[in-house]
Amino acid sequence: MSEAWIKVDDSRLASAADWIVRLQSADLSDAEVVEFDAWLEAHPANAAAYDRTLSVTLELQDAASVLSEGLAEAPVRRSPSLTARRGWLVAGGLAAAAAVALAVTPLGLFAPAAIQSFATAKGEHRTVNLADGSTIELNGGSRISVTLGRHERHVTMPQGEAVFDVAADKARPFLIDAGDRTVRVVGTRFDVRHRGDELSVTVERGVVEVRPSGGAAGKVFRLHPGQRLDTAQGAPAVQLSAADPLQVESWRTGRLIFRDEPLGDLVADLNQQFASQITLADPALAQTRVSGVMVLDDQAAVIRRLALLAPVKALPSVNGVLLRSDPAAKP
Amino acid sequence: MRHTGSVAADSDDPLLALYLARRSNLVRFLAARAGSIAAAEDLIQELYIKLAGRERIEDVGNPTALLYRMALNLMLDRARGETRAAVRDTAWRQAVRTEIGGVDIAEEPPADEAAAAAQRMRALIAAVQDLPPQAGRAFRLHKLEGFSQAQTAQTMGLSVKAVEKHVAAALKALTLRLSP
Repeated sequence: MSEAWIKVDDSRLASAADWIVRLQSADLSDAEVVEFDAWLEAHPANAAAYDRTLSVTLELQDAASVLSEGLAEAPVRRSPSLTARRGWLVAGGLAAAAAVALAVTPLGLFAPAAIQSFATAKGEHRTVNLADGSTIELNGGSRISVTLGRHERHVTMPQGEAVFDVAADKARPFLIDAGDRTVRVVGTRFDVRHRGDELSVTVERGVVEVRPSGGAAGKVFRLHPGQRLDTAQGAPAVQLSAADPLQVESWRTGRLIFRDEPLGDLVADLNQQFASQITLADPALAQTRVSGVMVLDDQAAVIRRLALLAPVKALPSVNGVLLRSDPAAKP
Repeated sequence: MRHTGSVAADSDDPLLALYLARRSNLVRFLAARAGSIAAAEDLIQELYIKLAGRERIEDVGNPTALLYRMALNLMLDRARGETRAAVRDTAWRQAVRTEIGGVDIAEEPPADEAAAAAQRMRALIAAVQDLPPQAGRAFRLHKLEGFSQAQTAQTMGLSVKAVEKHVAAALKALTLRLSP
């Protein structure tokens, strides 16, 4: 894949970028794939343009989280074109200043509501107070973005877990997009957990509606306090169960409460709390049932306690801790 | 990129011959889907083993489509939807590790490499900041914040097609600027 010496022209780069976006889209068809192959074969410069675009795309994707933080912290830059225009306007004197005002106002009027993004690192908890009086408590390893619009309040949650305490406002429903479901509320308190492809919603107060979004299949559910809904991305079926909201939200108080749950789930939860990651040596171990209350102070202590609850032995590994089943241990 | 050693043996198997002719293209395809050239190379190698060991199918319809479909299925089998989450988690961890430095046993790169990496990161940030507003927003939501195309479209109040156009425009501009 190294034909970089071939001169790449602008339109080929545009096609290459189009292809990368199409290839990465969810609804890529077989016909498009065959077309892509034909495009690559049509001219060596096509493949060279694609390789160049792919390499930049992958670099940016790999750097996504660092880049996203860097962009959030970086001072706002004036784009080169704006800077140039400004230079010209200053030269124009007063009339130009008036033109600036005219040019800027409509943008302000028609600009969509601002998007605010919030993220937490593993183990970091953060409370976000929104302008409408709602609060969102974010668990570790979460990312959300919030738009408070005039007709609706919108949260997108590609990944994470949070307790929402939504200020009542009948005129502006509060919507949370998590994968292919939308959680809709008016004013209530509840926990939304979106990890990988799995979504679960537990209601503490008020009524919460969960509906398929973006054309996904499935029914609309209304949840009442003490009810919990579990679903997976792409699956129309959901599971409803009774749940103790305080148990579900226990991560907020620095404790994890679990009753007869698979060790695999517990480890997944712990891995949201600490930077160094726990891995299970074999899949059978993940199915072992455990019960207990885990105080989340420091990871070494947590792992020691875990070894008391389950028949496991902790070994240091490259990026954290490896849990291996220990037949000698009597939990 | 030819597997000269096996061409003779494979010449009577049209699908295997097509695989060998299209190997680089298959890697290009999977690299975009899997987010890594190394992972794509591994998967395409595995595809070869699978093709060589399979029962001969006489009528394969469109062999090109079949090859790409097999490559994609292999990736899906392997990842079971975890790829994206895992990639993001790794990225998270790397970000965290730099922050907590002393606590974690992070592998510190040599000073000159670290400086070059920091300089490159500044170049990436500046390039993204200088994108036209809509393209920049679509790119940041979809590529950096992990929003799907549909979620990005919803958030920006645009159609999915329009989001694709903006993201493609962003990728082209970023490639021109960041790739010599």
